[in-house]
Amino acid sequence: MIATAYIFAQSASDAMSGIVGGTDARALIVGLLTGVAFGAILQRVGASSFEMIVNMLRLKDLTIMKFMFLAIAVAAVGIYVVSQFWPDQAHIGIAPLYLGGLIAGGVIFGIGWAVAGYCPGTALVAMAEGKLDAAITVLGGLVGAFVLTLIWDPVKSALVDPLNYGNKSVPDIIGAKPLLVAVVFAVLAVIFIMWLDRRGKGEAAEPGGRHGLLER
Amino acid sequence: MNAPTGGSAAATRAPAASTNRRMNWILGGILLGLLNTFAVATYGALGVSRNYVVVDSLILRLFGSSYYNTSDYLSSYPASADWLLMLALGMVIGGFTAALIKGGLNTRAVPRLWKSRFGDSKAKRFAAAFAGGFLLLLGARIAGGCTSGQVLSGVAQLAVAGFVFGATIFATGVLTAKLLYRRMP
Repeated sequence: MIATAYIFAQSASDAMSGIVGGTDARALIVGLLTGVAFGAILQRVGASSFEMIVNMLRLKDLTIMKFMFLAIAVAAVGIYVVSQFWPDQAHIGIAPLYLGGLIAGGVIFGIGWAVAGYCPGTALVAMAEGKLDAAITVLGGLVGAFVLTLIWDPVKSALVDPLNYGNKSVPDIIGAKPLLVAVVFAVLAVIFIMWLDRRGKGEAAEPGGRHGLLER
Repeated sequence: MNAPTGGSAAATRAPAASTNRRMNWILGGILLGLLNTFAVATYGALGVSRNYVVVDSLILRLFGSSYYNTSDYLSSYPASADWLLMLALGMVIGGFTAALIKGGLNTRAVPRLWKSRFGDSKAKRFAAAFAGGFLLLLGARIAGGCTSGQVLSGVAQLAVAGFVFGATIFATGVLTAKLLYRRMP
């Protein structure tokens, strides 16, 4: 119930809401520049690399996993600092919790992730780097999204409508202040990242191993 | 769980030449977290997969089909440019520019790791890349988001849906990758 105060209609999440963020010139330019930074960060870290993604899923090189968790931890605190102190500026959108669709869609997605070696965003970046297989993944994605439109009615009634608990957030469920939950979550995430990092270091203990937190 | 023998971790690391050009993941993670905060403070959290739906509508429009109006699913999304579509376009420009400046442009068809496991057939790699992309967007649109919208942004916004989706994709992705590359060091 508290969280509903943080949900703003104009950005009520990607999930089934139509226009996100606006269509005026300023929105389009800010969106473009935000995307340029997003694409450049993914490219520079190596998150658009097939090898980096597949080796993360094979649990051989957790660099991308640590990168993602750290980005999430920083954003969690940042987003809820914004929502705490500048609530009118916080365009938070909590996606609906429909268990069937999240789990079924997640299983389909997870298989596609390992087979393609990209996810929908990293495929765009890898395509931009010139990688032909990533361009084919983007094409497959356009077809996959199109096929969903053809089977949407049965999918909706089987996976989206049942077991749908609405726009639930963790602070909402435990009834705590969102910023406090975000800080606790971020601390736990950083501890987890450091544990992953030490574990990676142990595995790559040979000379030249560079999984260290403070190296490079 | 996964306890590789001494040599395997070294064997799977990318050669120094390609990793040295990369940005440190700590710096990258902090920058991406700040970028997502900026996005939420301006128009909305980062997300990608829904743009595949919008591009489908744009393509249908280009070919004069009105299906984007009659499909319940497509018509719940815009068939024109908005902030989030520009974000995807920006990602392509940003990825291209970063690769251009840092010497990462590469028009290869078959990734090295794929080649060492499945051979150098382009047809085989393209078939898998297409099937993978198909499953990625089918799954993401059923769930209402992908690694960006549901995980990077959803979990950061402490959405329970993001945690459920994130745990599911990692578990399934790891199982599938272990199975696909089971004979690899």
